[in-house]
Amino acid sequence: MRIQKKMTGFLVLLVFFFSFMGSLVPSAHAADANKTYVIGTDTTFAPFEYQDANGDFVGIDMDLINAIAEDQGFKVEIKSLGFNAALQALQSGNVDGVIAGMSITDERKQTFDFSDPYFEAGPMMGVAADNDTIKSYEDLRGKRVAVKVGTEGATFADSIKDKYGFTLATFDDSSQLVDEVKAGGSVALFEDYPVLAYGIQQGNGIKTVTDKEKGGSYGFAVNKGQNPELMRMFNQGLANLKNSGKYDAIIAQYLGSVDAASGADISGEAAVKKSRLGLIWESMPAFMTGLGYTMFYTIVSLFFAFLLGLLFGSMKVSHNKFLRGIATVFVDVFRGIPLLILAFFIYFAIPQAFGFKMEVWMASILALALNAGAYVTEIIRGGIQSIDKGQMEAARSLGVPYGNTMRKIILPQAIKVMVPSFINQMVITLKDTSILSIIGLVELAQSGKLVIARTYQTFDVYLTIAIMYLIVITILTKIADRLERRIGRG
Amino acid sequence: MDKIKVTGLKKSYGSNEVLKGIDMEVGEGEVVCVIGPSGSGKSTLLRCLNLLEEISAGKVVVDDYDLSDKNSDINKIRENIGMVFQHFNLFPHMSVLKNITFAPVELKKMTSAEAEKQALALLERVGLSDKADAYPASLSGGQKQRVAIARALAMNPDVMLFDEPTSALDPEMVGEVLGVMQDLAREGMTMVIVTHEMGFAREVGHRVIFMDGGYIVEEGTPEEVFGNPKHERTISFLEKVL
Repeated sequence: MRIQKKMTGFLVLLVFFFSFMGSLVPSAHAADANKTYVIGTDTTFAPFEYQDANGDFVGIDMDLINAIAEDQGFKVEIKSLGFNAALQALQSGNVDGVIAGMSITDERKQTFDFSDPYFEAGPMMGVAADNDTIKSYEDLRGKRVAVKVGTEGATFADSIKDKYGFTLATFDDSSQLVDEVKAGGSVALFEDYPVLAYGIQQGNGIKTVTDKEKGGSYGFAVNKGQNPELMRMFNQGLANLKNSGKYDAIIAQYLGSVDAASGADISGEAAVKKSRLGLIWESMPAFMTGLGYTMFYTIVSLFFAFLLGLLFGSMKVSHNKFLRGIATVFVDVFRGIPLLILAFFIYFAIPQAFGFKMEVWMASILALALNAGAYVTEIIRGGIQSIDKGQMEAARSLGVPYGNTMRKIILPQAIKVMVPSFINQMVITLKDTSILSIIGLVELAQSGKLVIARTYQTFDVYLTIAIMYLIVITILTKIADRLERRIGRG
Repeated sequence: MDKIKVTGLKKSYGSNEVLKGIDMEVGEGEVVCVIGPSGSGKSTLLRCLNLLEEISAGKVVVDDYDLSDKNSDINKIRENIGMVFQHFNLFPHMSVLKNITFAPVELKKMTSAEAEKQALALLERVGLSDKADAYPASLSGGQKQRVAIARALAMNPDVMLFDEPTSALDPEMVGEVLGVMQDLAREGMTMVIVTHEMGFAREVGHRVIFMDGGYIVEEGTPEEVFGNPKHERTISFLEKVL
């Protein structure tokens, strides 16, 4: 009965919290009749859309849609939703159009109307700038080649690998491809041309030696049969920009010389390289924001982990076999599943299986709270069981009920025992938030990845991020030490 | 009228039977001392009297409440049965005063003010008026045990159980604790005392119970048990301890 009440209270709290968080997420407004269109886009797909050092969204897509809007006399409101979410929002009418470096495919044409192609992509090979041995696909025989999962580059490389006799190494991230090639693990990489060209322009130490292969083209999309006037204006505006030379200027700004846009010779020399310190300094606001989120997710997750731990911890020390069993299963399950798998399961698997949508932050907090909750349960159980049985007996012999004894006699003493373990768990959870960057949670590690996606400065960025974690955790540990000493005295 | 009536009490841990059928009565105001070698079941018997140990079989009635009845409110019954432990079991995170007032206030028997007034009176009674604000860690063993007695008395119990109250004490502190217990006995408190203090049992006890191997082997007045033991196990035990 008591447990049930606690559980209900917890659920109420959970619902309250999530609805509160929900209210913080801006809801999509209906398009203003006065020619303001809401345009959805991806979060990061350099050079088409990405955050610059000021946190503003820039890129070919962004400059293009803004220039077209100006040319055609309408206004745009950009929503950075992520690629899949943007398409879902388009279908549900929450946005009027999507521009997100999206390839025009027959499959997508079933659902969307596409504009005239505004960019010809296609895969291209890159090698390390100081590599003189690889000059054509023939030179790849017996070597290893890096590709990014799901790209045209990967598909193309796969289609020619038997012909030229090379093997593939697959990565998740463009910057990983570059690091792989520069470190010599692979001799070459295949990447979609604009991504490759942008990286070279940023001075990532890669060069091209072959021509661009033929590939897909990118288009602007609206929902099938809707917003024909927006589509008409986009096509008209695009034609105007191409005629005026504005289009070439935008492409050149991100991909280097206009010649490069046709896929001939790309060189990184034109790029003005920022000093290493300057780059870190410029990225600091983004890192600090990321750090803020890391702290926020840590605190919120630990709060729920603590509630879970209190609930299951008390179940674990109860005399009821059934409750003990439930708590044991909880601990075994969530301590036994790696956090990464748990996050994938909560974010991808469960929503797909049951047909609902889950926000990244919600999935992240759930995964962290359940994972840490299992450990906190064990900390609380251990703390309670470390208290001499005589304490419980003394209070019970006076007629004080079990629950009151737990709260007033056992827990106050047990908490002192638990504090060092709690601090340890806090440090672990804070570091574990970085794992959630894999599902796209914006926190410190992810803001680092975003900066690397833009600048390719892997060493400097990860060094900075590592130092920031170190500083924060050291400070927190010192504060906690002081707290612990005070609790110990009092 | 018996304050405590035990009939056919058995207690097992798994297959290990510790109490093998105990019958005993304790009258109002009576002081019963339980003696016997270690492992004889005397502490287990005492702990069955306030259900700190579950009863395997038999019947225990205290103050007309049947403890063996699953439906009785054990917390209510325990309010009337004070218990003093070998290792004191004071609450280390509370001051001496708070240790004593905790139960009456928590169980809403008294307001904090009333409980504190009573606690100070109890502390005076056990000779520790000056220790009200001290924490248990700063007290000697004898002082701790006297606070524990005061804590048990704060619920105004009808019966007091003592589980080897002086066994963990340095010899020079035994006297102060026994003195407090002697006063209690004189005031007419019903007491069951598991003890190794044969001198105390002889002097203060109205009746002595000798236990061995899970049975009550012999019982009688102190004069009978100590002066003229009948059973050979009693004789051999007393030879060793006296």
